[in-house]
Amino acid sequence: MSAGGIHTSDPTTGAAPDTLPATRWIEGTPSLHRITSDISRPMEAKPGRGWWICFALASAAVLNLLGMVGYLFAKGIGIWGLNNAVGWAFDITNFVFWIGIGHAGTLISAILLLFRQKWRTSINRSAEAMTIFAVMCAGLFPLIHMGRPWDAFFIFPYFPNQRGPLWVNFRSPLVWDVFAISTYFTISLVFWYLGMIPDLATLRDRAVGGIKKFVFRILSLGWNGSQRTWSRYEIVSLVLAALATPLVLSVHSIVSTDFATSLVPGWHTTIFPPYFVAGAIYSGFGMVLTLLIITRQTMHLERYITVNHLEAMAKVTLLTGSLVGYAYATEFFNAWYSGNVHERFHFINRATGPYAWCFYLMVLCNVLTPQVLWWKRARRSVPLLFVVSILVNVGMWFERFVIIVVGLHRNFLPSAWGMFYPTVFDIGILVGVFGLFFSLFLLFIRALPMIAMWEVKGVSNG
Amino acid sequence: MSRRPTCDEAMPRGDGHDAPLVQIGLPTGARSTGFEATRRDVLSLMGFSLGAIGLGAGCRAPVQHAVPLPSASTEMVPGVPNLYATTCGGCGASCGLVVKQRDGRPIKIEGNEASPLTGGGTCAAGQASVLSLYDDARLRGPVWLGNAVSWSEIDRHITTMLGGGGSDRRAIVLLSPTINSPSTRAVLADFRTRFPGFRHVVHDPMSLAALREANRLAFGAAVVPHFHFDRARVVVALEADFLGTWLAPVEFSRQWARRRTADGTRGFHVQCEAGLSVTGSNADLRLAVAPSELGTVAVALLAAVARRVNDAGLAALNATGLGQTAPHAAAIDRVADALARHRGESLVVTGSDDVATQLVVGKLNALLGNIGGADGPIDLARPSLQAQGDDAGVPALIDDMNRGAVSALIIWGANPVYDHPDGLAFRKALGRVPLTISFADRRDETSAHVHALCPDHHFLESWGDAEPVSGHFSLAQPLIAPLHDTRAGAESLLAWAAPAAGAAGAGKPADHRLYLRDFWRRALYPRAATAAGFDDFWERTLERGVVELPGPAVQTHAFAGDWQGAVRDIVTRASRAGTDHGGYELALHETVGARDGRHANNPWLLELPDPITRLTWGNVASIAPATAAALGVATGDVVTLTTETGKLELPAFVQPGQDRRTISVAVGYGRWAAGKAGDGIGANVYPLARVENGVRRYAARVNVAKAGRRARLAPAQTHFSMEGRDIVQSLTLASLEHEHEHEHEELPNLWRERLHGAHAWGMSIDLDACTGCSACVVACQSENNVPVVGAEQVRKSRIMHWLRIDRYFDGDGEDATTVHQPMMCQHCQHAPCETVCPVLATTTSSEGINQQVYNRCIGTRYCANNCPYKVRRFNWHNYTANDDFPYNMTSPLGRLVLNPDVTVRSRGVMEKCNLCVQRVQLGKNQALLQRRPLADGDVATACQQACPTGAIVFGDLADAGSRVSKLLAGRRAYRVLDDLGTRPNVGYLKKIELKEKA
Repeated sequence: MSAGGIHTSDPTTGAAPDTLPATRWIEGTPSLHRITSDISRPMEAKPGRGWWICFALASAAVLNLLGMVGYLFAKGIGIWGLNNAVGWAFDITNFVFWIGIGHAGTLISAILLLFRQKWRTSINRSAEAMTIFAVMCAGLFPLIHMGRPWDAFFIFPYFPNQRGPLWVNFRSPLVWDVFAISTYFTISLVFWYLGMIPDLATLRDRAVGGIKKFVFRILSLGWNGSQRTWSRYEIVSLVLAALATPLVLSVHSIVSTDFATSLVPGWHTTIFPPYFVAGAIYSGFGMVLTLLIITRQTMHLERYITVNHLEAMAKVTLLTGSLVGYAYATEFFNAWYSGNVHERFHFINRATGPYAWCFYLMVLCNVLTPQVLWWKRARRSVPLLFVVSILVNVGMWFERFVIIVVGLHRNFLPSAWGMFYPTVFDIGILVGVFGLFFSLFLLFIRALPMIAMWEVKGVSNG
Repeated sequence: MSRRPTCDEAMPRGDGHDAPLVQIGLPTGARSTGFEATRRDVLSLMGFSLGAIGLGAGCRAPVQHAVPLPSASTEMVPGVPNLYATTCGGCGASCGLVVKQRDGRPIKIEGNEASPLTGGGTCAAGQASVLSLYDDARLRGPVWLGNAVSWSEIDRHITTMLGGGGSDRRAIVLLSPTINSPSTRAVLADFRTRFPGFRHVVHDPMSLAALREANRLAFGAAVVPHFHFDRARVVVALEADFLGTWLAPVEFSRQWARRRTADGTRGFHVQCEAGLSVTGSNADLRLAVAPSELGTVAVALLAAVARRVNDAGLAALNATGLGQTAPHAAAIDRVADALARHRGESLVVTGSDDVATQLVVGKLNALLGNIGGADGPIDLARPSLQAQGDDAGVPALIDDMNRGAVSALIIWGANPVYDHPDGLAFRKALGRVPLTISFADRRDETSAHVHALCPDHHFLESWGDAEPVSGHFSLAQPLIAPLHDTRAGAESLLAWAAPAAGAAGAGKPADHRLYLRDFWRRALYPRAATAAGFDDFWERTLERGVVELPGPAVQTHAFAGDWQGAVRDIVTRASRAGTDHGGYELALHETVGARDGRHANNPWLLELPDPITRLTWGNVASIAPATAAALGVATGDVVTLTTETGKLELPAFVQPGQDRRTISVAVGYGRWAAGKAGDGIGANVYPLARVENGVRRYAARVNVAKAGRRARLAPAQTHFSMEGRDIVQSLTLASLEHEHEHEHEELPNLWRERLHGAHAWGMSIDLDACTGCSACVVACQSENNVPVVGAEQVRKSRIMHWLRIDRYFDGDGEDATTVHQPMMCQHCQHAPCETVCPVLATTTSSEGINQQVYNRCIGTRYCANNCPYKVRRFNWHNYTANDDFPYNMTSPLGRLVLNPDVTVRSRGVMEKCNLCVQRVQLGKNQALLQRRPLADGDVATACQQACPTGAIVFGDLADAGSRVSKLLAGRRAYRVLDDLGTRPNVGYLKKIELKEKA
């Protein structure tokens, strides 16, 4: 089939002689059948040693997470290092971090679809999966960070409300979060699933019978590949992409209002929404790079996830990383320019206080590291990109930690200043959630087509 | 709330201690159906009755399921608190109290506003003493040689051992701290009649023996005068923490605060001390003086004043050039100027342990004409009876014990094994005494080594009286039947002194209450110039709690002490000290929480942040920043302190304001047999200072060395500088007196003004009157069921206090200045916490109180993050019924102290100050019942009630005539962090600075 509305020129026939040769998004000229069987291989063959090692580590971390969350529910969040001064630390850092991670998936699948970026075809499926899993990981934290998680339903505007005038407080950004994130999760899930339907039908057709065939038959919703089906499918994709696009901007903007609408120095700034969105896309691309570099090696998909893809992502990383660096500088400038004693102190403390090392680590990872991507050779070096992507993730985690903890630990009244020191449970849950994320992703690449076969075929050279 | 006349009338007369603990009544739901009783009704009533009998019999144990009432009483209405006047037994000051009793349990200590001495204030230790009543470590009954026995059995043993008395030449000795109870003195006199060898040794761990001795030498009476700080325009205190721990801090705080006015008669307060005390932190001028230099400073002051008043007899003193070597010469000149200007209305007071220094100060006061007169600042004729300790007593007693000259030793309230430098010798000597008896309420360091443990009541279970200041009497009555099988100490003595049956005098009342009443009828009633009969007088006094009965004045003569000798002595010692330089001095001091160590097992006091160091759970070696730098010591480094008499390891604490030659250590810590909470907290510094020439020294030369380890302190505040922010504001006296413009900039606000209902509750806190004494902190904890969380949680910055007293230093040298700022929920009308809560668990009421709805709270902590004052407290753990937090809320006995009007919070919810909304509600209900509008002053919050200086005023801001409205409309009023636009209903009054007034 053709890639329909998003396919504009045929790379094999070449472009006009006075333009640059089009980038090839698949190496070699695999046949359409070859593409199908290459991508289906991880689902149909026994997994290799690499997958098993990764899965063993990740699921061990999940067990650790279950144990620690169970202990947390039994004992209370006093087992964390939080205190009167610092009411949020690892919990909300993790929450914002994971929500941010998700943004790359939506950006790739929705915005790049609308902008007709062909390089998205190989990576959009796994990026969307990453979004779903990241939002799931993020969603864990608002629940477990509560003092009384068994009353978590109070935060939803439930009906019928039998509690009289007690309902949700629409002035609270935490309630906005509930709407923003649940919307985001729903749209992302639908978009992801819808995008998979043609591939699910392919898998249905390839399955030799039994439960697998039955399941794929249900999931593919009777897809028949007719012209009419394709035509409607393309329209629905575009509509959903248009619906998802504002979410890329809105979700993290709303998450940023958790901070921006407060009066805590370092939180109370209007720059937060765009700054958070840039940071989210930045961290998301970091995570996509990490995941895809690992997957293309272990699943032998170098042909489909090419260095060209990695380079394209590296460019986005460089752009958003520089935006984030600009935002950091703006924050400092505004703190100085405002003349506000508390604001100024916050930024001096950020750079010279007890958490200064977190701040410098953040600057190193987020601002300086991506600058190597100005060089094409760096952008095309897989090991270097892998290191950069890891550093970006580290840096972005620390960015949220710096914003949250440094903002809280020393603010208006010096008498109430304090320090946050993580406990084994803070760190264990941080590690455990990474385990959850990777477990879900590893299961995903075994159970579902991690590259959109039908889209890749659209950009294939064969 | 009804103020009940007395407990007396409600009490069965037969047994003096059966306070109306319980009340008969059918619990809701168990209704008798009268004649139509079915089998079912009979059975249910029978079951209820049996249950009631069972529970009634067990009324000494915590009652958890019902409130059975063995005898009906009109006194008690379930849910309605009763107030009874009594006398505090927390220390020798014997402040008048009014104790709140709910359902038969005393739950809250309040000050007695009728007291002419304290006027309704209390201190932190007094506030906390109600918790000691419910201490699990208390003995359940008498113990003879390690076995629990009955009172009759132990009495038999003791009376046999005490023998006939007359024939035995060996002494029976009572060792106790100061006893200022007139009836107990009568009991002792009776005891002495029965046993002629009886002797009373008074041992105060922190004594004023040097002051008494100096007054004996100078004025012919070994007394502690009654000081009137309110009569002094200039107060110079040399090492006397009279606002915190010295003699009668509640009374003195009240007096001192009366001079903190801007009416033109404002006092000038100078403090010379080594370690920074609560008093020093409030002084207008504070001079850091090492203990060894205190005498020199006194001499220099005497010389400087003499120069100014042209006293001929002192000319010679000036000629010697004395005092030129004293430190702070310029400041001393300024102080002398002020003193000379206010002769007859100034007061020099010293807590020095040196008789010579006391004599010089006595001379100084005499020279200034401060002694005597109807309204003189120093009253020798009607002295204080609050500190009668005789330092020579215990060493002599140890000798006697070792010589076998003591046949029986009765220890009542004293703990010399712990708090005397010769404690070890005392413990060894105990073995030489054939009969040792202790009235201690627990097996403490001393009582663990006695033969007979005859536990005394807690003062809230006991009858008694006190005469803290000559002519000022106070009655004590029980608030609850004794929880355990204890007996009043006086009653034990009476029982043992009772003549054998049939002998002359038999049948004399051995019951303490009857004895007390009889004593008052006999000895005190005749002094009351009243036409009323004794019964009326007694009832009225019990209701009021306090009474003034003028008595004979103490006869003294004019100053006749050998002050020249004292000066020579001081100068000689100073010059000798000058030659062997180097080395540091150790200074012992009391803190408002630990005091002398007797309340060591009280977790409220252990967790009370010290107003100066802001540390909880333990003591430290306070070292000046310069000294710490020289020694290479940082806060938390363990140092070894070695004196002639002992050695101690303590964490160092770098303390601004500390004298650079002195290491200050608080006494009262390092108990090893106080109980579960208090054992092993801090280190005991008592053994490091010794008794010298019959006077106990509270300072010693000390060697300081780093021990090479670090200790983890438990601070409630970690940063001491205000960082240049306008948090504690002040203005100068001159601007207050001369500038009448009050410019208050009304900042614009994005929010609409909040509409109020009938009231707008608010509070004003006078930073100029607040001393940081911390009585309010414990009062709040007691009133609002605030849990104790332990040192580990405090280290994690998780202390739960709703009300804290922030303390900031300006500078870190010896001349650092200190400010205290009580900080609690500010009740913002545009509350940042309120907008961010996702579930509306915190809202501002129509009456302006920012309230926390515990049931609704899910614990996101967003409110606490967004609170600029950081006053919200989160329940990180379950602090009740949780063995990880083994404090009072985990013990069934300890939970009896909980206030039933205030919810005990569960794990995972936020809490904070709610302006004692339960008291507001009670006040409104009472006004409603009395069909009158709520008047200003009807409602007092717990912190306000406890404050000895009246710094806290609560009231209705909607009423322009209320005190709080007027105060907050005044020129000194401001709001903390006003520019944030939170519009708090709690306001502060700026501190007043004198600015070189001297």
